[in-house]
Order: sequence, then structure tokens, then C-alpha cells
Amino acid sequence: MLSQSLYSYKNALDREGIIFTFCGPISHDIVEGVGVTLKSQLAESAIKQTTAMKVFAVFIEQVQNVINYSQERTDFDSDMGMGIIVIGEHKQKHFIVGGNKIKTSKVPILEKNLTELVAMDKDELKAFYKQKRKKNDGDDSKGAGIGFIEMARKASQPLEFSFEKIDDEYSFFSIEADI
Amino acid sequence: MTRLQIEKTKSSPEIDFNGETHIHLIQGESYPENTQQFYDPVLDWINSYLAEGYEGEIVFNIELIYFNSSSSKILLDIFDMLDETKNEKIIVNWIHDEDDEAMEEYGEEFEEDIEHIKFNIVAK
Repeated sequence: MLSQSLYSYKNALDREGIIFTFCGPISHDIVEGVGVTLKSQLAESAIKQTTAMKVFAVFIEQVQNVINYSQERTDFDSDMGMGIIVIGEHKQKHFIVGGNKIKTSKVPILEKNLTELVAMDKDELKAFYKQKRKKNDGDDSKGAGIGFIEMARKASQPLEFSFEKIDDEYSFFSIEADI
Repeated sequence: MTRLQIEKTKSSPEIDFNGETHIHLIQGESYPENTQQFYDPVLDWINSYLAEGYEGEIVFNIELIYFNSSSSKILLDIFDMLDETKNEKIIVNWIHDEDDEAMEEYGEEFEEDIEHIKFNIVAK
């Protein structure tokens, strides 16, 4: 009887300052649709245009990460990745959080890379971004892995991330950018 | 050289490359579902076009409101291709909204790595 508790669920989200959340299979159509809605919603709110574009940019990187890298898919070669995206506002800060299943075997390398990333200052991030953007840098990921660097550059404080082990094969990865 | 025209969508920019006027345009937003797939014909066209070796002025107007990180890689590939010709008659106009400091900075970051062609950052 979710219909009876849905209102309190919505109120709980409101209390957390959540302005948008999505959980399930994420397709490119959803990215485009939500992207357009989010941009007009942010444009109508009192926040600065530069902040709105940062939130939008981080949202795009987060959802495309889920689409490209989630190990939970509707079927094996599906264009959709299962995951969760949360956008909210708390004490005049925006947070954009993304999460999806990854292979447990990938946790150590991802943890190492992100730990290095969060320790970087703005200039180091810029240099690293430019380096990773170049051709043939030995990175075989779809989007160059620079999505995280882009998020870190947009964020007003270091990215926060965590890994939750589900079993030996899969873990749940989540990452948050605050703006 | 045939003209390359691709209509803009919510997540991909308008492309209008014109081998007769030698004025080329990329305009809109860029976060396509598959960045490589979207830009492959664009990169192929530029390759063939540059191989023709036109000797007059060539202008690329890049007017993007937003691009994601994988599009940023492609833009760098494009600028590298243009710069490798060492043709000083190639002009890139990086056009941004005058209030959009972030887009201006992105332009500056591309400009830092360009050695031969002209790269103008233009506020509109």
C-alpha cells in the first residue's frame, strides 16, 4: 500500500531539500528530458546562472556515468544503466549525488584514482584535466575518465565518495559533488 | 567538397561545414548519447577538407552553450587537427555569451595549447 505512504515519502524528500530524484534504468532520453527541465527550473529560481550551469554540468556527468558504467543493466547490451541520481539544495548549497553498481574488482583502482583527485587543488585539477583530455593517454574508458575531473572542477569542495560491498562480485559506488 | 549539415537536437549541436564559403559552424549544446559516433562524420569531413589544402581564409565559428567532458576531448581533437596544418589562415572563433565566464575560460584553456592557427575568444 505505497499509495498511503507516498505522501510521507515525498515529505521526507522535501525535508532533505531534494528537488529531483530518479531511481531505475537511466536512458539518454531521460538525460535530455530532465536536462531541459532542470535547466528551466534552475533558470527560474533565484540562483545565479553560473551556479545553475554548474549544477546542470555535474548532473550530465553523473547520469552519463551511470549509463556508461553501471554494472546493473536491463539487459546485457542495453543502452540503459540502472542507478540513482539525487539533486538537492541544503543551506544554499546544491548537491548532486549519483550511485550505481560496479564490479567489486574495480573498487581499488577507482578508490585510488578518486583519492588522488580529491586531494588536488584547482590548478592541479586543471592540469590533470588537460592531460587526460589528450589523445592516446592510455585510458580505454568511454568518456576518458575526465567526467570525474570535470565534476571536481565544478564543485566548491572536494568530491565525496563511498563504496558499499554487496557481495564478492558487486559493490555499490556513490559519489557526491557540492556546488 | 560537399557541405556537411547536421541539425541540432537537445543534446547535440548544429553542424554546418561549407567547403564553398570556407566558413564552418558548430553551435548549440553537446552531450550526445554516443559522442564518438556523433562526431565521427564531423572529424572525417574535416580530415578530407584539410587534405584539399584550400589556400584562402578558413573560419570555424564554435558557439557552444554547454559541452560535456567527452565532447571536450573531441573539440581538442578538432583543434589539434587544425593546428597541425600550421596554416595561419585558419581562424577559430570561440564565441561565448558575454556573461558566461565558464565558457570563456574553456576557450582560454584550448587557446593555451594552440601554436599556429588563430584562436579568437569572442564575447557576444
